[in-house]
Amino acid sequence: MSLIEIKNLNVNYKTTRGEVHAVRGVNLSVAKGEVLAIVGESGCGKSALLKSVMGLMPANAVATGQVSAFDRELVSLREKEWQGIRGKQISMLFQDPMTTLNPTMTIGSQIAEALLIHHPKMEKEKVRKRVYELLSLVGIKKPEVRAKQYPYQFSGGMRQRSVLAIAIANEPELLLADEPTTALDVTVQAQILGLLQEIQKKLNMTTILVSHDLRVVSSIADRVAVMYAGKIVEIGTRDEIFTDPRHPYTWGLLRSLPEYSQGKEMLFTIPGMPPDLRQDFVGDAFAPRNRYALQIDYEEEPPLFAVSDTHKAATWLLDERAPRVDFSTMDMVHEVSMEEHEHAPRNHGEDPKKPLVSVNHLTKDFVLPGKKKMTAVKDVSFSIMPGEIFGLVGESGSGKSTVARCIMNAYTDFEGEIFYADIPLHERVARRRERRRLSTERQMIFQDSASSLNGRMKISDIVTEPFRIRHEKPKRGSLKKEAAYQLSYVGMDEGYLNKHPGELSGGQRQRVAIARAVATDPKLLIADEPIAALDVSIQAQIINLFKHLQVEHGFSILFIAHDLAMVRFLCDRVGVMVDGEMVEMGETEEIFSNPQHAYTKELLAAIPKIGKERP
Amino acid sequence: MNDRFQMVGILEKKTASEVKSHSWYKEHPVISEVLLGLLILGCLFAKGIMTKDPTYMDLLHYATPPGKEFLFGTDTMGRDIFSMIWYGGRVSLFIGVLSTVITTVLAILVGSISGLASERVDTLIMRFTEILLAIPGLLLIIFIQAILGQANVFSISFVIGITGWMSMAKVIRTEVKQLRDSEYILAARMMGGNFFYVLWHHLAPNFISSIMFMVVMHVRSAIVAESTLSFMGIGLPLEVISWGSMLSLSEKALLSGNWWIIVIPGLFLVGTLVCITQIGNYIRKRGNTTQSVL
Amino acid sequence: MIRYYGGKILIFIVSIFVLSFLVFTVSRMAPGDPLVSYYGDRVEKMTLEEREHAENRLGLRDPMLTQYQRFLEKSMQGDFGISYKYKRSATEVVLDRLPYTLVLGGVGFVLIFSLALLLGIVCAVHEDRLLDQIICKVGTVTSCIPEFWVSLMLILIFAVELKLLPSSGAHSLRVDTLSDRLLHLILPMTVVVLGHLWYYAYMIRNKILEEIRRDYVLLAKAKGLSKRKILYRHCVRNMIPSYLSLMAISVPHILGGTYIVETVFSFPGIGTLAYESARFHDYNLLMLLSLLSGMVVILGNMVAQIINERIDPRIRAKEAMHER
Repeated sequence: MSLIEIKNLNVNYKTTRGEVHAVRGVNLSVAKGEVLAIVGESGCGKSALLKSVMGLMPANAVATGQVSAFDRELVSLREKEWQGIRGKQISMLFQDPMTTLNPTMTIGSQIAEALLIHHPKMEKEKVRKRVYELLSLVGIKKPEVRAKQYPYQFSGGMRQRSVLAIAIANEPELLLADEPTTALDVTVQAQILGLLQEIQKKLNMTTILVSHDLRVVSSIADRVAVMYAGKIVEIGTRDEIFTDPRHPYTWGLLRSLPEYSQGKEMLFTIPGMPPDLRQDFVGDAFAPRNRYALQIDYEEEPPLFAVSDTHKAATWLLDERAPRVDFSTMDMVHEVSMEEHEHAPRNHGEDPKKPLVSVNHLTKDFVLPGKKKMTAVKDVSFSIMPGEIFGLVGESGSGKSTVARCIMNAYTDFEGEIFYADIPLHERVARRRERRRLSTERQMIFQDSASSLNGRMKISDIVTEPFRIRHEKPKRGSLKKEAAYQLSYVGMDEGYLNKHPGELSGGQRQRVAIARAVATDPKLLIADEPIAALDVSIQAQIINLFKHLQVEHGFSILFIAHDLAMVRFLCDRVGVMVDGEMVEMGETEEIFSNPQHAYTKELLAAIPKIGKERP
Repeated sequence: MNDRFQMVGILEKKTASEVKSHSWYKEHPVISEVLLGLLILGCLFAKGIMTKDPTYMDLLHYATPPGKEFLFGTDTMGRDIFSMIWYGGRVSLFIGVLSTVITTVLAILVGSISGLASERVDTLIMRFTEILLAIPGLLLIIFIQAILGQANVFSISFVIGITGWMSMAKVIRTEVKQLRDSEYILAARMMGGNFFYVLWHHLAPNFISSIMFMVVMHVRSAIVAESTLSFMGIGLPLEVISWGSMLSLSEKALLSGNWWIIVIPGLFLVGTLVCITQIGNYIRKRGNTTQSVL
Repeated sequence: MIRYYGGKILIFIVSIFVLSFLVFTVSRMAPGDPLVSYYGDRVEKMTLEEREHAENRLGLRDPMLTQYQRFLEKSMQGDFGISYKYKRSATEVVLDRLPYTLVLGGVGFVLIFSLALLLGIVCAVHEDRLLDQIICKVGTVTSCIPEFWVSLMLILIFAVELKLLPSSGAHSLRVDTLSDRLLHLILPMTVVVLGHLWYYAYMIRNKILEEIRRDYVLLAKAKGLSKRKILYRHCVRNMIPSYLSLMAISVPHILGGTYIVETVFSFPGIGTLAYESARFHDYNLLMLLSLLSGMVVILGNMVAQIINERIDPRIRAKEAMHER
């Protein structure tokens, strides 16, 4: 018995720059008590699909088609009728718990509000009891105290728990979760996922979960739907999707996870980037990124072919006239052990035994308003050898970025010593004297490519900024030629030279940032969460680019990340930071196979494993 | 038929339907821009438009209602209002622009110093600015001008200029503070860019766009301030023709019911202010397009 | 708590002290002859000796610091000297005029802020629809018109042409009834309200629009709350602290607005008095009025600050973030 039935659903957004077809003819049905996950890259329409099920689209969106649930037709409901359903029969979890709660109301009153809306006559005492009950249900201790507090007194994970308490207040039949763990730290993510699973079972709630993270999905979903360009391209049970993907996109997504490329030179990537949903598609929207595309993919839209009763995929490759391609994922795991330790020794003409960077007893305090002191980094020591990729792992606020900025001398008032080659970076005079060399040889790449590129400058000006700052003549003659060369080096054509960062996608912007950083032939590249804001398929492209450039140039990389699988794939050595301290450090494989510190163990345990059975 | 199922891999992407670019005039306040343009042109080339000498007091035809000879009538001193409007508009607009230049320079100075300075200096400057900000600007101008006595075009621009920088300085400070911590500034500094490079290539272009609105609005409030001062008799003297000083005759005009002396210069004044405001609002609204979810 | 408010009071006292010194020196260094306001036209016929005598009598010959010291000592005892023009104690002169300004400013204040809230909400609810567009257009135009010109137009229409309302003063000669006073209040009040209304209404409109774009609105909507309830229980409610602090900051602005209106309508309030005292160098009166205005300004500012720091949990949230 299906609880909700979606038929030919379309969602369009009217924007000033044209109409966006976010959801294009989606058909779905979800059975009672089932957990369906919808996976896809950002901008594939998964969030729009979810919001249209609850009538939460912004004012410029129009939904057409059918969504039937609870013996009603939802798409044509009027606002008044929606209000009776929202919060009572359907609830929602949102992505960013830091902003979804009203900052000026106490947690308790926000939960109580959800109760009172649908039970206006509920007695005060009963409401209070229920609020406490809900809070303890979502694992918040001392609910009597916590209910009286404001959101700012809660951590991110606690806030997401509170939002969950609001969502389940009236025991809804359907729970929609829109990237509920994306904004959280790895260990918190695991806790929230566990809680969600537990409560889903307890209340037997039908759940639709939207995520871009295949690992999250694999640990919790019964069935998985893969969305691309507003359409569902493949749907099946969890095992079918993860072990027997039939759509080249699904297969590519799985394949580009670093777990499947461990020990290899390069990650598998899906070429290109997600399409702009403002256009009308002819044929298969994925064709321009599909290495196995058929002629017909460019001409005619593929129907959903049935693989089994539960498994369907929309690709012409499943047509009986098409050539056979084997997309199984089973052998991918095997390849790992066979291709281990294939790294070519990297030699760069420098003394490989002498560290390029050594950090000795680095401590950095921040003075906060009110003269309070906060120690961001406590007595951290490590070194980076020439040509080495050193990974720095830790949760947000653990001090990893501060370490990077100290090495780059963005902060100079730290205690301890930092040497770059022979230059003592903690000494002002030395820094001054070697300013030119340092600004050429040390480069940094940031997480948010939108804010690390000046939106008012053209791409060509951004890439050649280092030369203009130093009034240097670039190697390729003119600045224009240099810009074109550097762009082609990171895989972008000349057409982008005159564009502005705002016109580029996140991945392209990150490429530009990388081009700017490597333009000066640096010896040390510091990358601060460079892929955290990117889509899975793009992440792999960027990591490959790093690896490629590193082999080509031979520079050292300090790679800061929270994605452990990526770190494991890319880095030679890893340091783990907790609360400003380096708790563990060593060869990558050693850390991952035999973690010593409790936190490292927790961190590794928190990663949902793909393909493993559900607990 | 079967060749349709031939594997061809990734083909060069076919022409995606390009998004139509907007016509330049869309959402522009066209009417205001044209009117203001005409008015500025009229004032610049006042000599060609004027039908009479605006300073000549035709005592035979004082307080004549609008008619063929005197298009907008004459004032109580027998001067031709039509000619005075174009002639006086120059002074009013000049004061508006000059005092805005003074204000903007001051605001950029204070704002960037406060934004770049240490926490303590910043707090000090901002507290001071806030207190000045709490004093109604027009009132401050009136008091300073009342104490200074008789004014000329430059002194009045100066007084208006030095009393209006506070809110703009606050905006610049916030902007500078935000930019100072932004990563592309950090990147530029790490690439070896010095203070002036950063200021010129990164800071200035960014905050100029965010204060454009305030600059435009300051022209407006400067014109209001001048006319109010002159009207109250502590601004420009009667002989220096501006829209404000023309209106300072209005009390006499009220008594004798000569409405045109009040209404016509006033309409020009208000019209100019409305045009400037429309343009300012347009500048502010650009790029602000989040959709309501309610 | 005691430290917090103690600090505020200390800042207040220091500010007033600095202000008094500034006004004192600036007014005395400005060109102009204070004797004119005391003796009127007779000054021009005075001999040098008479002048000297007069200046000595008013204490204007002493060094500036001595004069300032004397002012401080006297003012501590509540003596602000005499007004040169009115030849009476400055305090009395001010107390005579104060009620007029308080009525004009106070009633204006209440009207402005209740109407602004109303208009702001109406506009925000009808965002970008016809009603909102009309109100915004009309509002923009009214906010562009200089106060003195609105006053002139209103006088021209209602007093000169239609002869419905009086054009100046607070009451008619020899008549002093409540209805007469109210009649005299209508035009000045209209100008005071019109001059400020749109500025605040537009600010409130935008604040609400900003609020309804926040993420928590989605959560509230997902709970099943109606638009109305979201708007009033969440958005408007969240805006109240900033609304209150806006009110506190704007007290001097609205009182200041009445000053100009008073001069146009010859309304016998503080405004006309202040204008005269500054123009004719009536030092003692000017000092008292500046101190009064300054106190209102600084108090308004402080109340706004306290509202921001103590009432709004969001500010505390920011502090908490720093602490982490």
